[in-house]
Amino acid sequence: MTARTAGVVDAQMVDRLRDAVGARWVRTDAATRRAYARDATPLFDAEPDVVVQPATTAQVAAVVKIAAAHGVPVVPRGAGTNLCAATVATQGGIILSATRMDRLLEVNAAEQLAVAQPGVTTTALAAAAATVGLLYPPDPGSRAVSTIGGNVATCAGGLRGLKYGVTRNYVLGTEAVLGTGEVIRTGGRLVKDVAGYDLTRLLVGSEGTLAVLTEITVALVPAPPVSGYGVAYFDSLADAGRAVAAIVEAGLVPATLEFLDATCIDAVESHAGLGLDRGAGALLLFGDDGAQEQVGAALATMVTACRDTGARTVTTAPDVATAEDLLAARRCTLPALARLGSLTVLEDVSVPRPRMAEAVARIGDIARATGVRVGVFGHAGDGNLHPTAVADAQDPAQVAAVHHTFEQIFQLALDLGGTITGEHGVGVAKLKWLPRRLDPAQLALMRRLKTAFDPAGILNPGKLGS
Amino acid sequence: MNVFDPEALSRCMSCGFCLPACPTYALTGDEASSPRGRITLMRGIEDGTVPLADPSVREQASMCLGCRACEPVCPADVPYGLLLEQWRDAAWRGRRTPWLVRPLLALTRHDLLLRVLGRLRRHARPGPRRHPGPHLMLGCVERVLFPGVSRAAQAIDPELQPGRGPGCCGALHAHNGRLGEGEAMGRALGGRLPGTIVTTSGGCAAHLAAVLGRDRVAELSEWIVRRGLLPRARAGARPRVAIQDSCHLRNGLGVAATIRTAVGTVAEIVELPSAQDCCGAAGTYSLLRRRDSARVVAPKIQEIARAKVDLVVTVNPGCQRQLRTAVRKAGLRVRVVHLAELIGGALGTPSR
Repeated sequence: MTARTAGVVDAQMVDRLRDAVGARWVRTDAATRRAYARDATPLFDAEPDVVVQPATTAQVAAVVKIAAAHGVPVVPRGAGTNLCAATVATQGGIILSATRMDRLLEVNAAEQLAVAQPGVTTTALAAAAATVGLLYPPDPGSRAVSTIGGNVATCAGGLRGLKYGVTRNYVLGTEAVLGTGEVIRTGGRLVKDVAGYDLTRLLVGSEGTLAVLTEITVALVPAPPVSGYGVAYFDSLADAGRAVAAIVEAGLVPATLEFLDATCIDAVESHAGLGLDRGAGALLLFGDDGAQEQVGAALATMVTACRDTGARTVTTAPDVATAEDLLAARRCTLPALARLGSLTVLEDVSVPRPRMAEAVARIGDIARATGVRVGVFGHAGDGNLHPTAVADAQDPAQVAAVHHTFEQIFQLALDLGGTITGEHGVGVAKLKWLPRRLDPAQLALMRRLKTAFDPAGILNPGKLGS
Repeated sequence: MNVFDPEALSRCMSCGFCLPACPTYALTGDEASSPRGRITLMRGIEDGTVPLADPSVREQASMCLGCRACEPVCPADVPYGLLLEQWRDAAWRGRRTPWLVRPLLALTRHDLLLRVLGRLRRHARPGPRRHPGPHLMLGCVERVLFPGVSRAAQAIDPELQPGRGPGCCGALHAHNGRLGEGEAMGRALGGRLPGTIVTTSGGCAAHLAAVLGRDRVAELSEWIVRRGLLPRARAGARPRVAIQDSCHLRNGLGVAATIRTAVGTVAEIVELPSAQDCCGAAGTYSLLRRRDSARVVAPKIQEIARAKVDLVVTVNPGCQRQLRTAVRKAGLRVRVVHLAELIGGALGTPSR
């Protein structure tokens, strides 16, 4: 899409980096470069020239200035758990790791917010909020590992999207280093603040292509006192889709509405032996949180909705332990599928909620035609689907078939009025699909925005905005 | 290269869920010293992208504690401990074996000196030759450093026959770049000691289970719970006891509950937040990498100090030595004992 950035990392530049952040934290050895060649995305691999671990905003700014002067790429990285190869240094250069910037600066119960450095893990942030009775709702699957910086950069989602939204709904302000090395502060601590363009929102999901995040302020909400869960089995996903529609029509916005298709049910049962109904075509996990009476009423409404739409069985969890068993089925879906082959490609498309059952059925048709094993699970409440293909990584024909399958699935999502990625991001992995999702004028605007933030074109080049 | 089991290596999907479990990643925040990063290095070694002998690559094989804390949290069941053994087997071959390790491996293999030292230290007296079992394994390190442990174990279950002859199961060898030799020593021990082999060392239990099969091996806490040999709960003041799990016992064999069952009968258990985290002993690690080992154990010693416990109970001689040294250096008035000594003492046998 663009030419490579011109500069190369030479000894003189490495010396300058060492002067800026300390020799210990600038490494060019073989083991370091290989270890940082990958993130959690399968099939993408590129070694950086140097890995830098700064400790302060001033050090980040210094590193970016040096990189800009040398025309060398800078790829910001949190924990490297993204699934779109957003942190793979496809053009070499510097991996800028946030792991040393891992201080939680403030948790403020009165203002219901937290201020964190980018390397704080999502779980650490959520745990700190919980100690003062507050909730940080976004809960991506990798939350125990992933960093808040990475979550903001990719606008991470999670299981609570329908009721609570995603990362973008919680970011109040940022501190960030532009591609020039200038430090900006966007937004702040206020709920209402319309002074200027909403650059905070622009930085959320910008995948490190506009600025390097160095501090993040997030809003917190009161933690709901109780949660309740139930599970329903259906003969088909179409029936489950009708149940979801009935739940929404009943005026509910439940915290949890997750589904597994028959392939996933089978894989989970083989792997974990949780006693799932293998004869079912779909499993719907539902749940809500809030005050005791409200949760009880919501569960009762959802049970009725499932029964009315032809559920084979519906049960609710009487206690926390049973609820944990139900949630375990959803949580172990990916690992269960991963057992089926050496290559596991977890994808991420979103469609309007009423088209979800149709999308899953047509994904099944596509998989049958290409001969690739695909299980589909995801967030029934917000239409976000995770079709997951398993194959033999050593067999080029199978790998090619996986690519071919996903090309058809992305096109299907677009045809249904959906998108090519709901919560994982574009990175390198989806970049060639972006022109199908966004029109040329918007892509051109994105390039101009990128130039305004990063005139030298050094921030995560070859990805968004390039 | 043909270093690694290809199926085991292919299981990793690079999700990174192992990162928060890894003690060396906690020290450095560096991907290269995380389990996922090390597996990326192993893949690089296998496909020739990085040289096995590159100093930065060998450093990561050496820096890993081998605690296997990454295994229980792995969604894909990657057998990391096995892959690490295969890595060191290739990387530490011949002259590349760390020089500090060599005399130790030689000593535990040619064991006459060990046996003499052990007898002088008065470990439990070996039983008759060709006994059908169950056998109490006297081990190599433990019989010399902590001879009271085998005496206490025999006091708990007098039917246990302390095994005659060499005691080393080969775990040290397998973990230090001599995988084949370690497996052969394990098999030889299994041949000499028929029936169930009961061990007071979590590391030996995991190695023997891998070589001989899980059903041939019982760690002491498993054995006494299974055989109903728990002491009767006592009224009155009970000591406050913290537990240090054995990494390989917990992460490799999933044994942790029986230790707590046994300790709970005679003491008040104070769970340390880091009870299941490596203490930094890690076999030869505390000798080879003293500084890193001390950095790993430091937060645990602070926890022990804050917990105001009377005793710390270990289930592995390496942990016992590591914690005893670290507690003494920190000037704490806390005794570090083996589970056998606690239970054996509670049964009315002097613990020392």
